[in-house]
Amino acid sequence: MAAAATAGSGTPQEEEGPGGEAPASQAQAPTSATGARLSRLPLARVKALVKADPDVTLAGQEAIFILARAAELFVETIAKDAYCCAQQGKRKTLQRRDLDNAIEAVDEFAFLEGEFC
Amino acid sequence: MAERPEDLNLPNAVITRIIKEALPDGVNISKEARSAISRAASVFVLYATSCANNFAMKGKRKTLNASDVLSAMEEMEFQRFVTPLKEALEAYRREQKGKKEASEQKKKDKDKKTDSEEQDKSRDEDNDEDEERMEEEEQNEEEEVDN
Repeated sequence: MAAAATAGSGTPQEEEGPGGEAPASQAQAPTSATGARLSRLPLARVKALVKADPDVTLAGQEAIFILARAAELFVETIAKDAYCCAQQGKRKTLQRRDLDNAIEAVDEFAFLEGEFC
Repeated sequence: MAERPEDLNLPNAVITRIIKEALPDGVNISKEARSAISRAASVFVLYATSCANNFAMKGKRKTLNASDVLSAMEEMEFQRFVTPLKEALEAYRREQKGKKEASEQKKKDKDKKTDSEEQDKSRDEDNDEDEERMEEEEQNEEEEVDN
C-alpha cells in the first residue's frame, strides 16, 4: 500500500529530469504553439468579410481559415511595429499615432493609408 | 452602398488578446489604437481576398482556395507570412481529417444507441404503470387498518 501511495503522488523524491518538464505534462504544451492558435478569430466573421467583396463567388473553407490566420499574423505584426514607435517615445501605452507612424513607415502597410480618417 | 464593408469588424476581445500576446508584458493599448488595429485587420482581409480572387480568376476558378490566398500574401509583400501559414494549413487539414473520422465514428455509435434506447424506453413505461397501481392498493389497505 505504501509503495502505491508514493507512486501515485509522484514527486519530490523522484526527479525525472529538469523541473520544467513536470508542469509541462499537466498544462498543454506551449511548444506546439500552432495547436493552441489554430483559429482564434471566428471563421464566420472572416467569411462575412470575404463575401462582402462583390467579385468573389465562393471561398473554400481552407481559404477562409488561412485568411483568418493571416489576419492574426497581421495584427501581431502591426502591433509590434507600432510598439517600436511607442518605445521610442518612451511610452508603455500604444496610441493611435503609433499606428499611423507604423503605417507610414512600413511599405507593406501602404494599403492602409487613407483608410483611417 | 449604404454600409461600407469595413464596418464588419472582428471581435474586439480576440483582437485585444492577440495584441497583448504579441507585445511584452506591461504594455497597454489605448481604445483608439485597438479599434484602429481591428479596422486595419478587416481591411487586410478584404484586400487579401481581392488579391486572392485575382489568382482564382487567372486559374479560371470560381472558388477561392488556400493557394490563392498564399499567392495573394506574396503579392502583398507579406512573404514572411507564407511559411507560418503553410504550417497552419497543414495542421488545419490534419485536424479536419481527425474531426471527420471522429464524427463518422460518432454517427455509427449513435445509430447503434438509438436502436437499443427505443427498446429500453418501452420497458420503462410498463414499469411505471405497475408501480402506480401498487401504490393505490397500499393506501387502501392502510385506511382499512386505521378504521
